[in-house]
Amino acid sequence: MGVYAISGASSGIGAKTKELLLQRGHDVVNIDLKDGDICVNLATEEGREEAIERLSKMHPEGLDGLICNAGVSGACGNLPLIISLNYFGTLALAKGGYDLLVKKHGSCVVTASNTISQGAGRMDIADLLNNIGDEKRILNLVSQMDSTNLSVGNSLYVSTKYALARWVRRVSASWAANGVRINAVAPGNVNTTMTATMSTSAKMALNALPIPTKYGQECLMDADEIAEVMVFLASDAARGVNGNVMFVDGGTDALLNTEKVY
Amino acid sequence: MKPIEKYVEAMENKDFAGLAELFTKDGSLCDYCTNSSSQKEYHIYGKEAIHMFFRNKFGFRQYSIAEAEVVNDTQAEFVANFGGYNIMAIATVREANDDGLIQMLTVRPK
Repeated sequence: MGVYAISGASSGIGAKTKELLLQRGHDVVNIDLKDGDICVNLATEEGREEAIERLSKMHPEGLDGLICNAGVSGACGNLPLIISLNYFGTLALAKGGYDLLVKKHGSCVVTASNTISQGAGRMDIADLLNNIGDEKRILNLVSQMDSTNLSVGNSLYVSTKYALARWVRRVSASWAANGVRINAVAPGNVNTTMTATMSTSAKMALNALPIPTKYGQECLMDADEIAEVMVFLASDAARGVNGNVMFVDGGTDALLNTEKVY
Repeated sequence: MKPIEKYVEAMENKDFAGLAELFTKDGSLCDYCTNSSSQKEYHIYGKEAIHMFFRNKFGFRQYSIAEAEVVNDTQAEFVANFGGYNIMAIATVREANDDGLIQMLTVRPK
């Protein structure tokens, strides 16, 4: 059986993914701020370094899978945190875990979002993230924005997820050439603690995005629907899948972007 | 030869393997000239990706350079041809390591 590391597995999609992996007999390391096997703050450089150091000590033989899932919503009210955790924390974990994945020809899965195809992101921020990558400067820029405006938080959230998906595409060829597949999952709106504790206006925004597989039910997706795909992508069954941004949103993206076939 | 000179030579000769060898393991080549052509920007991360990408581009005649001139220690100007669409471009070696391998190279419209 394999060894998998997941960030953000104390709740939500990460917790469901961990549960599925454990059910299938794998060892799982949860990297999370609270209740993790490795408790660190991936929004900080120190936390990122500690996570990789401890993971390497726990499993020097390597990893079969690394699922970079930790993140916050655009409604968290902390704009710098959206940038630091969602983008830089994820990249640092994926890059830091790469050598462990190479050892076992493992696979990396990154959590993006189906909002990346809905035009709500700030492409200037996404470009700064991908093409410049200067965390300090970007945080200074973001700190000057209005954190009380929900649409600002949401646009930054989408920007980080867009940049993550694009980064996955960019590195995927070289990673695969070295035996490590990397893919992204783009979930739709999922029923998690993160979405359950959202404000009324944020929930109204969520409900404005219809989920075809939930037609008429007025409900969000279940975390296990996303987790099943994450486990699949991290498994050898998906050995032919690389550089893919897989929308797991019950068909929302197809509904809103029928002409986008690629 | 300086990295920028080797880059121009590899590009002129359509030597995708030689081009890839100029980069570090995780070196990147980003070309922003494509916006005016029908192609999307090139953001190629990693030497293996550079090898595969330009093997395709050169093989299908979707990219070539002409009239190249190295203008200083890190930059070269040339006419970039994107499948028949010509753009005056300037390439810059933004980062290189102590061994002279390119960590980051960008190509922008001039």
